[in-house]
Amino acid sequence: MQSHMDSHKKFELARLNIHPFKLKFFGLSFLFLVIIILPFFISDYWIFVFTLAYYYTILAASWNLLGGYTGQFSLGHHTFALIGAYTSALMIIKAGIPLWTGILAGIILTIIISFVLGVICLRVRGLYLALITWAFAEVVRTYIRMGYEFTGGDRGLDAPLLFDTIQPLPYYYLFSGIAAVTITLIAGIMRSRIGYYFRATRNDEIAARAMGVNTVRWKVFAFMVASGLAGVAGAFYGHSIGLISPVLGEFNEMAMVIIFVVIGGLRTQAGPVLGAISIRYLMEVLREWSEIRIIILTAIVIIIMRFFNGGFMEFFKRGKQWVQQKEVREPVSAYEKIEQR
Amino acid sequence: MHLFSQFLIAGLIMGILYCLMALGINFIYGIMKVINWSMGEFFMIGTYVQYLLITYFIGVRYWYIGVIISAISVFFLGSFIQHILIKPMFVGIIEEKMEYATIVTISMAIFFRNVAVAIGGPYIYTPPDYASPTHIGPLPLSGNRFVALIGAVILLALFYYFMKNTWIGKAFQGVAQNRSGVQTAGINVLKFDMIAFGIGTALAAAGGALLAPIFLVHPLCGLVPTVRGFEIIVIAGLGSVPGVLVAALSLGLAESLGSVFINPSFLDIYGFVLLIIVLLIKPFGLFGKEERVA
Amino acid sequence: MDGQGKYLLNVENIAKDFGGLRAVNHASLHVKEGEIRGLIGPNASGKTTIINLITGIYTVTEGAIYFSGNRIDGLQPDVIASMGIMRTFQISRVFRDMTVLDNMMVPALSQGQTMLEAKTRAEELLEFALLAALKDEPAKSLSGGQNMLLQIVRGFMNKYLRLYVMDEPFAGVHQSIKGIILKAIKTMNREKGITFMIISHEMTTISNLCHQISVLHKGELISEGTMEEVANDPLVIDAYLGG
Repeated sequence: MQSHMDSHKKFELARLNIHPFKLKFFGLSFLFLVIIILPFFISDYWIFVFTLAYYYTILAASWNLLGGYTGQFSLGHHTFALIGAYTSALMIIKAGIPLWTGILAGIILTIIISFVLGVICLRVRGLYLALITWAFAEVVRTYIRMGYEFTGGDRGLDAPLLFDTIQPLPYYYLFSGIAAVTITLIAGIMRSRIGYYFRATRNDEIAARAMGVNTVRWKVFAFMVASGLAGVAGAFYGHSIGLISPVLGEFNEMAMVIIFVVIGGLRTQAGPVLGAISIRYLMEVLREWSEIRIIILTAIVIIIMRFFNGGFMEFFKRGKQWVQQKEVREPVSAYEKIEQR
Repeated sequence: MHLFSQFLIAGLIMGILYCLMALGINFIYGIMKVINWSMGEFFMIGTYVQYLLITYFIGVRYWYIGVIISAISVFFLGSFIQHILIKPMFVGIIEEKMEYATIVTISMAIFFRNVAVAIGGPYIYTPPDYASPTHIGPLPLSGNRFVALIGAVILLALFYYFMKNTWIGKAFQGVAQNRSGVQTAGINVLKFDMIAFGIGTALAAAGGALLAPIFLVHPLCGLVPTVRGFEIIVIAGLGSVPGVLVAALSLGLAESLGSVFINPSFLDIYGFVLLIIVLLIKPFGLFGKEERVA
Repeated sequence: MDGQGKYLLNVENIAKDFGGLRAVNHASLHVKEGEIRGLIGPNASGKTTIINLITGIYTVTEGAIYFSGNRIDGLQPDVIASMGIMRTFQISRVFRDMTVLDNMMVPALSQGQTMLEAKTRAEELLEFALLAALKDEPAKSLSGGQNMLLQIVRGFMNKYLRLYVMDEPFAGVHQSIKGIILKAIKTMNREKGITFMIISHEMTTISNLCHQISVLHKGELISEGTMEEVANDPLVIDAYLGG
């Protein structure tokens, strides 16, 4: 009787241990593999579509870090992509510096500006922070539009290409690589003590401070990391597409990023990735229904928020829980059958 | 001097016209502490309803009736939307209120824009003029602007009267000042929320209907009013209703002065310069309440 | 600076104004290390304000606060926490969307402990508080009393804890949880020498727990001593009855 119970327990434990960790590992590796070999199975046009999807993945994941995990609901995130793109392109065109230096300059300026904005936003939270970041976004965008002599205005700027080719393949691997690094970085941050600080700050800033968390430092840090990543995406974007315009800084872009994150699952690791890639893919597939697809998309977001808050990932999680509960019930009989043999 | 006063008056007029939008946003915020990011789209709906009414039903002669009908129909639309989408925030279903309201209203904005394209096509419709060009003294003035100005002033005056002198208006002030306290006075806050949202969106729609001949009727015609409306809010301070008038006039002035003295093609930026200057001096807006982080 | 040597906490003649309202009016408190001090007083006597002043949430309008000889008024709350002062809130402020375990880990991590150290200590404390079964539950699913308990044991995660200020830890809390809280306070005080300052309205509990009681009324300290001394002080009686 005793050994029967012990072996049964070990069997259960072994089962439960196998599932979460190894599943994640194999799942990710499989996904990684798919992403690497995908370009060989699809047309150039679709390679380009996925490249853009990875660009949005970077924006979505980084916004999730700032607005989702740390609770600073910024409406100016896309603006840092805009700043990264324009700084890089302008410095290269006007000052003649080499390409990679331009990109670096774009990233550095983004981090500096985000530091300033982050400090400004320390005193405000919630709706007012959204409003201030919105104002920031509009000011920058308007400046770029109005200063057409310097910035090219609504017409945009032609940015030199990063690789000496218009073949989409190198850009595909560039962006998928940056996206992978972004996701890994964010996952690493959230699993570290910094992740605890972010989450505590979002939950209750005063309590967090009382618990010794320097929320001032970490809020600004979140701003800088998230915006820096957006700046990286933007800087590379310009030199991958070849043309940048103030459209990158339109409110619509910000709304899309938020929609990707919400549908995928706010405050999850996989949510922004899933949301950005799947929705960008679907939008492309439904290209001909240009308004209807957006109507459906926004309606889905509203329904998710209203009834079913966690997005895709919540859906997964609940399904997983349901499946796990079902499976744990079964082994007892299966094992007993083995015993009886 | 002639040119200057012309621009000055034009600026003040635009200021008053933007007032309706901004007023709606701040009024709703004052009551529900929610920013409706889709206000511009209610403005747009107002322009479409007005256009339909003028073109197919009542004709341009009775444009002012169109404004009233637009406002009333959007009042019901707004109240309905508040009831199914926003109210759940306040009855304990939603945990993260601010996130919810922002995400939902932003989605609504994009939703309405695309519905407008889906129904009416990506076209710009031009409603006929409400009135022929007139003068203010020696200054020429577009008839549309003139009547829109009169209409806006009337609406603002009505709103003011309503808030100060009716029981409902005072109840609204009560809700804005002390949401929980006012319930002990027997006020059904949830119902007032709904009405407030309806009124706010109706104001935006009225603005749209009034400004239709000026801004024209197309799916994205709510964008510029949205930007102006939010600029005004930031300058005035969240929740301040009187601040909206001051801020709106200042914005209109800033735009016209900038156009005259600097460069008319940089119009959009003057408002933002004003905004930045105000925020540097008073970070929560001219009449805004400081949010204590403690 | 004299006389400060023997006290852990020195609140020197502080005053706090909120606009026209003077919430604290020349109050002084001196708490020795290892003491359990009770802080009582009628409603709106300034008790919570004093806690907020000590822990850096408000700044003093007048006066100064010293902790272990160092001046702490004007410092940020997180700096004060790292000096060894922890506090609980009257309305429990736990991190609602984080698990009970994660809640516990925050004060340890912020003081530089490793994940493993923090986790081990957290599990120990949760075991002591009989909350171990709930460690992976989101804090928002806890009952009111469990929340208060979580708040309290969370403070013990600060390795450098020397002074623990509690704002109404027993309010509305079930008897069994109250027992755990009392046990925690007494144990930590006895074994680790941790100083406590406890605001409460529960006179019997306070008189059993606290060595000394300070009485606050309208922002001023009107009496100090053992519960018996203080209960018989005519000023105190007047304050509670006269209002």
